[in-house]
Amino acid sequence: MPGARLDSKSMAQRAVQEVTAGEAVAIGSGLPTAIPSTLPADTGVWFLSETGAVGYRTSSAGMMVDAARNPASAVRGGAAAGVGDVAAMLAGGHVGLAFVEAAQVSAAGDFVHWTTAETPGLAAPGFAVDLASGAGRLVALMRLADDSGAPRLVDQCSLPIDGSRCVSLIVTDVAVIRVTDGVLELAEVAPGWTSDDISSIAGAPLSLASNLREMTFETPGLSWPNKVYATASEALSDVPDGAIVNVDGFGGPGGMAHYLMTALRDQGAKGLTMISNTAGIARVARFGVPEGVTAIDHTILVENGQVAKAIASYPVSPSINRPSAFERAYQEGESDLEVSPQGTLAERLRSGGAGVVAFYTPTAVGTLLGEGKEVREIDGRQYVLEQQIIADYCIIRGHKADTLGNMVYKGTSRNFNPVMATAARVTVVEVDEIVEPGQLNPEEIVTPGIFVNRIVRRPEGFSPYLETA
Amino acid sequence: MSTEPGTSLNKVYGSALESLAGLQDGASLLIGGLAGHSEPEGLLEAVIASGARALTVISQGAGAPDSGRADLNRMVESGAVGKLISPLPFDPRQGGPVKDLWEAGLLELEVQPAGVLAERIRAGGAGIGGLFLPTGAGTRFSEGRELREINGRRHVFQPALKADFALLRAASADTLGNLLYQGAQRNWNPIMAMAARTTVAEVDSVSEPGALDPEMVITPAIFVQRIFVRSD
Repeated sequence: MPGARLDSKSMAQRAVQEVTAGEAVAIGSGLPTAIPSTLPADTGVWFLSETGAVGYRTSSAGMMVDAARNPASAVRGGAAAGVGDVAAMLAGGHVGLAFVEAAQVSAAGDFVHWTTAETPGLAAPGFAVDLASGAGRLVALMRLADDSGAPRLVDQCSLPIDGSRCVSLIVTDVAVIRVTDGVLELAEVAPGWTSDDISSIAGAPLSLASNLREMTFETPGLSWPNKVYATASEALSDVPDGAIVNVDGFGGPGGMAHYLMTALRDQGAKGLTMISNTAGIARVARFGVPEGVTAIDHTILVENGQVAKAIASYPVSPSINRPSAFERAYQEGESDLEVSPQGTLAERLRSGGAGVVAFYTPTAVGTLLGEGKEVREIDGRQYVLEQQIIADYCIIRGHKADTLGNMVYKGTSRNFNPVMATAARVTVVEVDEIVEPGQLNPEEIVTPGIFVNRIVRRPEGFSPYLETA
Repeated sequence: MSTEPGTSLNKVYGSALESLAGLQDGASLLIGGLAGHSEPEGLLEAVIASGARALTVISQGAGAPDSGRADLNRMVESGAVGKLISPLPFDPRQGGPVKDLWEAGLLELEVQPAGVLAERIRAGGAGIGGLFLPTGAGTRFSEGRELREINGRRHVFQPALKADFALLRAASADTLGNLLYQGAQRNWNPIMAMAARTTVAEVDSVSEPGALDPEMVITPAIFVQRIFVRSD
């Protein structure tokens, strides 16, 4: 006689062992909604819901909701977002792990979401297809067999699938099963169950893991990885030659990460592709720069011979008589240039962060900047196809960040930063003030910490101007 | 307030029904909310009262039936809706009017993955004609659609989505239409607000311009044409 079947809480306790520190973890509807409350609210992981809750726990007094519409509230360091934001986090590859409730999982790792099974003839997935496609890793929760004894682990799904070859682990009410290259491997059994008990109800052949063991239910204690660096040079020490770098700023010296820019110059990485609105014109345009001083901007990287290529919308000086450092470098063949219209540049970055590989925009159709690009007519209007941009590093300036990387901006210092922050493998931010998690209002956070990898505090009194004019 | 409703300086309407002026049979509506949570109930009630028919609704879907509120279930039950585009049109375990009318052949349902739907709406609001996303490649959601292999991964073409109206629920507005949300109210609203010709926001309170912190505004007034203030 096998042991008892696990309840949803025990399944959640086993499932949460898959979470790693600092990760964003998406919680689908159904059984997974029991997972967040298995960990204390100060645990170092963000649970996200498709509803827009980023960093939450269920809580009767909360103004947010989880995927099952249970009331929820933000943890310290959580943020309020929208459905579109969470969709972009997922498709953009910012979510390491997702949990779904499955109705069927095949040996190949295909799965059918519970809502698809419960809406016959319609097969409605809710957010499941997005979770399966976007998350780095997908873990399915389900009862191994339904009430009638029909197996849910199958050679091939009999219902429309919500993801192809995407489930890597199945946590059931009697066992944990790994999915590897078309093989289902029994890894753990619930207390009181043997591998024979499991195989007799599994519905698909199981191989036995060499280290087959009994399931445990201790939940992990996870600390937030440290993101705060003492200096800008420590935060940028690993930028390699040839890196693609998003650099913030608009035209004048406002809203630029002067401290990080200076550190990147001193670090000296060469052959950089710099993505920015201008390639450095504050010095020649003098927007708001007092007489007799020189603004720190992208120019310091150009003059240091670090910029092999710029992708920019406004790479030239407003005056033909005063060419910028980048214009000179370009004319002398030292730097390459790709011009992108300003809004298109922002959209390309936003697409990079949101997993949109390419998009059709009407901007620049019929102009020089549209030449050589695919043109498509949609609803009677001409569009050009533009490609996403994803950088290796991003350096941007914020106003305040908490130690988890949640960030707010001030005025037009926001500029390209919210989109740039999402479109880099390593996003480094410079802020005026670093606060503890919970000190920023979840409703005011513009860049959630999920997008931020490293934080430095701009030294008090750090001048946006070069010492020598 | 010194100006007439509907002028650029005062977008506040006297009633929900007035705020839906111009809603015609066959119109398309983006409706915010999360399956019964944070729905613009006053506006949905007004849609029912308007008598408009054959509407196309784009939304998260209906929540549990018998909520006792003016929700999407009631609107569908009234016969106003001809088609619903949604990732999960009705409560899968409890069903309700959406399921019943669909099964009776009186309501067309189109199912889309939620994140794909969100990205299509966002594209509609941002002037993008269409885009390529990897989501759903290899499932029924890529059948019959243009597929392209880009950067070694299959991507599905997704056309942008726009609508005639967006009906939203927000916490507060100023008279110009700048919006703030609270908690789960944000849901689909910021992207839906961008993607409609006429965006109507149902809010708890309205203030004079300047009363909202500019850094806190989530939906700028540019996207909002009309405001209805709840009386409860």
